[in-house]
Amino acid sequence: MKKLTRPIMASALTLGVVIALAACGSSNSSSTSSAAASSSSKTTSSSSSSSASHNGTTATVVIGTFPQSLDPSIDFTTQGGEVHWLTYLGPYSFAHASGTAGTQIIPAIATTMPTVSDGGKTYTFTIRKGLTYSNGAPVKASDLTFGIERALKLGWSAASFLTSTIEGAAAYSKGTSKTVSGITTNDSTGQTTIHLVSPYGAFLDILAVPGVSYMPAATTPLKPEPNNPPVGFGPYVIKNVQNNVSYDLDKNPTYAQQAIPGIPAGHLNIHFSIQSNTTTEASMVLNNQADVFDWGDTIPPSLIQQVSGLSARFKAVQTNKTFYWFLNVTEKPFSSQLAREAVQIAVDRPALARLGSGALVPGCYLLPPQMTGHPTTPCPYNIDVNSTPDLAKAKQLVQQSGMSGQPVTVWAENRQPRLEWAENYANTLNEIGFKATLKTIADADYFSTIETLKNHPQTGFADWQQDFPNPTDFYQNLVDGNAIVPVGNSNYEEVNDPHIQATLKELYPVPAAQLATAASKWQALDYYVTQKSYVVPYGYLSSPEFVSNRINFNALVFSPLQGNDFSSLQFK
Amino acid sequence: MSATGSTPASVIEESLPHEGWPGGEGAEVPPGIGPYQLAWRRLRRNKVALAFGGLFLVILILCLLAPLYAKYVAHTGPNSENVDTALNQFGVPLGPTWHAKYFLGADPVGRDVAVRLLYGGRNSLEIGFEATLITIVLATLLGVLSGYFRGPLDGFISRAFEVIWAYPVYLLGIVLGVVLAISGLDLGLFKIGSSSLLITALIIGVIYTPYVGKAIRGQVLGLREREFIDAARQQGLGNFRIMYQEILPNVASTIIVFIPLVLANAILTEAGLSFLGAGVRPPNPSWGTMISEGINLLPSAVHTMLVPGIMLVLCVLGINVFGDGVRDALDPRAKIRIDH
Amino acid sequence: MSRFIVRRLFSMIGVLFAISVLTFLLFNALPNPALRLAGRFASAAQIAHINHQWGFDQPVYIRYLTIMKLVFTGKVISYDQQVNVDHQLLQYLPVTASLAIGAGIIWLSMGILFGVLSAWRAGKWLDRGLTVLALIGVSMPVFFLGALMSYYLGDKWGILPAGGYVKLQDDPAQWFVHMLMPWFALSVLFIGVYSRVLRSTILDTVNDDYVRTARAKGLTERQTMTRHVLRNSLIPIVTLFGLDFAAVIGGGAILTESVFNLHGIGQYAAQSVEALDIPPVLVITLFGAFVVVILGAVTDILYAYLDPRIRL
Repeated sequence: MKKLTRPIMASALTLGVVIALAACGSSNSSSTSSAAASSSSKTTSSSSSSSASHNGTTATVVIGTFPQSLDPSIDFTTQGGEVHWLTYLGPYSFAHASGTAGTQIIPAIATTMPTVSDGGKTYTFTIRKGLTYSNGAPVKASDLTFGIERALKLGWSAASFLTSTIEGAAAYSKGTSKTVSGITTNDSTGQTTIHLVSPYGAFLDILAVPGVSYMPAATTPLKPEPNNPPVGFGPYVIKNVQNNVSYDLDKNPTYAQQAIPGIPAGHLNIHFSIQSNTTTEASMVLNNQADVFDWGDTIPPSLIQQVSGLSARFKAVQTNKTFYWFLNVTEKPFSSQLAREAVQIAVDRPALARLGSGALVPGCYLLPPQMTGHPTTPCPYNIDVNSTPDLAKAKQLVQQSGMSGQPVTVWAENRQPRLEWAENYANTLNEIGFKATLKTIADADYFSTIETLKNHPQTGFADWQQDFPNPTDFYQNLVDGNAIVPVGNSNYEEVNDPHIQATLKELYPVPAAQLATAASKWQALDYYVTQKSYVVPYGYLSSPEFVSNRINFNALVFSPLQGNDFSSLQFK
Repeated sequence: MSATGSTPASVIEESLPHEGWPGGEGAEVPPGIGPYQLAWRRLRRNKVALAFGGLFLVILILCLLAPLYAKYVAHTGPNSENVDTALNQFGVPLGPTWHAKYFLGADPVGRDVAVRLLYGGRNSLEIGFEATLITIVLATLLGVLSGYFRGPLDGFISRAFEVIWAYPVYLLGIVLGVVLAISGLDLGLFKIGSSSLLITALIIGVIYTPYVGKAIRGQVLGLREREFIDAARQQGLGNFRIMYQEILPNVASTIIVFIPLVLANAILTEAGLSFLGAGVRPPNPSWGTMISEGINLLPSAVHTMLVPGIMLVLCVLGINVFGDGVRDALDPRAKIRIDH
Repeated sequence: MSRFIVRRLFSMIGVLFAISVLTFLLFNALPNPALRLAGRFASAAQIAHINHQWGFDQPVYIRYLTIMKLVFTGKVISYDQQVNVDHQLLQYLPVTASLAIGAGIIWLSMGILFGVLSAWRAGKWLDRGLTVLALIGVSMPVFFLGALMSYYLGDKWGILPAGGYVKLQDDPAQWFVHMLMPWFALSVLFIGVYSRVLRSTILDTVNDDYVRTARAKGLTERQTMTRHVLRNSLIPIVTLFGLDFAAVIGGGAILTESVFNLHGIGQYAAQSVEALDIPPVLVITLFGAFVVVILGAVTDILYAYLDPRIRL
């Protein structure tokens, strides 16, 4: 018996240790990492689910990447925005409606639309009384100042919205001032007054963007809280954050009795599950193993034909989203105008459209087609976005610029089809005479990496989804020289063009209601930007509205700004 | 993956099969035939092993001929994308055409799969061979030295083996692969560029050294007690002469048996690392990267993943079966213990 | 005996120390993470804080001690998302443990079964068939097999879930169903290896002297086989198992976990590497290596206890 006991003891010991480890791990409370329902189950019975959250009260969203941050003072991505607009309300919000109705601004924490005075430089409003955060603390007027200061301090990716508009914001951001002087509040009356540096037509839209929000000043820490997002006011709260795995959007129990008109309380709890493989992601919704396909992802080529046929639960929605390559003008080779032109000409837009499952509409302008300001003239340099590019001409331009053979690093995201686009782009750069290499960054870290000025990314992937129906949205962050900051910089090209600055100075103050009068000026500016090739836009992607057959598709609201409105999500 | 180094191996070595035992193979040894010629005869009789060895050889030659194929048959390079012609409007790539162009179809970005397969094979095989060379050289050196000299040197080398072997292969591989891919390797003496295949080969080669090194050491431990070593010493030969002239030839057959095993493992490990993005960097092809690129297209374009995968399996299978045959030929009595 | 234990423990500690130093040097040689951090922590104060916490501003040996202290007191904070790495590890450990235990049971039992069958019918069709299967298993990359299984059995035909993990305490049936494919994908390679090793060990042991003696003593073939041959042949298998199992627990199943999206330790390590997040990788590397070495030492001590010859 002796000889066999040796091996047995060894294995038993090993198993014992491991079981002990497994047992102590399982006492942690954390949510599971993906939907449990098997594909054959079409009911919502709890027998097909794993925990209390996977039954008739929770819907699962599969999403390709964890947001840049769940902290609204840092993040400005669609993955964050679609959650933040329901959890961190600001003075204003956008209507929860599909189509153009979803671009209307409604009062949220403010009682009514603001009084604009002093030639457009002063905004005054009063906040509702008696509102409380999810932790019971009262919502105070000064909490807005806190929220704005926090966004500036933590390097919010759209900080430019604040530093170029509100008095004292730029100084606060640089650290030369202790507060943002332009905001004055009265906590007992709830009155809030914001002074702007100069009139800014789209300022009301900025007050409605997620990130400009109220947070309890007394208890919210001023450091980043990515896995433990701060408290806010809204129909939902973020819970159970597991970095890179999952997070939950649970109904805020205190919201229903203080619900704001136009911002309904939700029906279901939402469980977000990260699924970085887009094919698996789409399959899960196709097989009804998950409920919602995130609008920020693209249905892969392998499944798009199958999915597009399901009109009862799929729709491609035009949401004004531009995809472009940025070209850093401060370093070689893209400091040369000719080199940039070459890239503008050489980019193979029809190919990129195919790689995008055919959901990308080729284009050459930064502003999307449905937005006022999109040029109506043909693209510069005889570019025809629907035919193969003139590589010979591009090569010639590169040689003329003297930048042939220059090494170029192309920064790229990881998930489909962004990686494929970047590979194609790098290939194009090589074909016209550069030495391009690809640098892929995990999606959740991509933007924080390229937004760090020190990295000086030469060129790479970028996209911008409209936050409000005004070209200011795009330009303020992406092309404005004043928007360049060391952290959270969205002007990746580091462009500071005097003509652009002068034109923007004229265009920013135009009141949003009178945008049409400035249309031709915007069009000229947008044409100019493509002509100077600071950015190389290649197309506009439609967003997928794609759900499982459990979801009531007709009741689902799809905002043109924030995608699926989760508060409207219901089971049939 | 035995890491203790001392106990189980030595227990096994104690019970080595006995030389000259009647019966079994080797009984009808014709006079004057050396062990290698004997082994070769045995190998020749093993048709299956030869067939698979031939399969591997064919794959190897095809991969070496990659540039010729690209130039004369497919008229396209491994990195040239042809999205407009090779993908349909939804982005689904062409399936195998069985013609000169896109013989095995297109990959997700419109490149010719057959061309990439061959170029990828070159990369994968190059890394495999380089890693194997590194392992064999290091393992022989360290194994012989530690087995022959014993004492503190042996203690140090054995501990070093244990340390290296304790590391999770893929984890170390991806850390080093990803990081070195960003900055390259600067060891003062020589610099390896960040896109060089040598880095991956080096990582794999070093990690597998203990595996072979311990077996060689074990064998040398036994050999050094034998009479012919004593005879050599009495003749006045120095230690290094003895190691080179007497020990090395006797370890040779062990080395030969290990070569296919290490090669097979190296190729599989490289594929795994490339699959995770830490081996061959895009856009350069490797069977591992092609598999990871093709996974997303399984629903509508199976060939993108199946082709490199099957090629990988066939290649490794060829090496493994042939390696098995080599082992049977050289060591039909299983004297060489291979503890994985 | 106690001398042996002491010696072995010392040797183990020596190896663990060497591993910690080597790992430290490796991570030290990597580009200074404080400088290459993603933008959100790029403020000078925050970089200085990280430099200080990790000892980047100190000489090498102090840095080593600082980092080791952080690791062993469970205070390592990852750069990315600033979470406590040890808490994350504990969250991911049950997944890897489930994978390792289930797969371990499968590959050990089937490996032994196939090995015994192969040796029993050596040279005949069954043996050849099993050898072919073993060889294919050994030549099949786990990610290829896993991806094929996940797609065909999972997405396409919907027989099993394509991936993901369900906690055992939440729903045991679903836990089991979700683990089936990963278990098999991971086991295939080991079954191939173990069956071949066992086969050759059995075939060899059969020719040993003591077996002849047993037969001469009058033991039946079956008694000879089980009492002598099999027992001795299983020794290398169990050694292998102890170490392979330790390797899987320590994060070695990266490929399987990634393909099936299980979110275990291996996948966590792979994702951290992608995000250039050094702390989790450091901790997992140490953890994995330590598990292997410690289990190896424990096994050796047990062997020595049971077999006095080894203590010499």
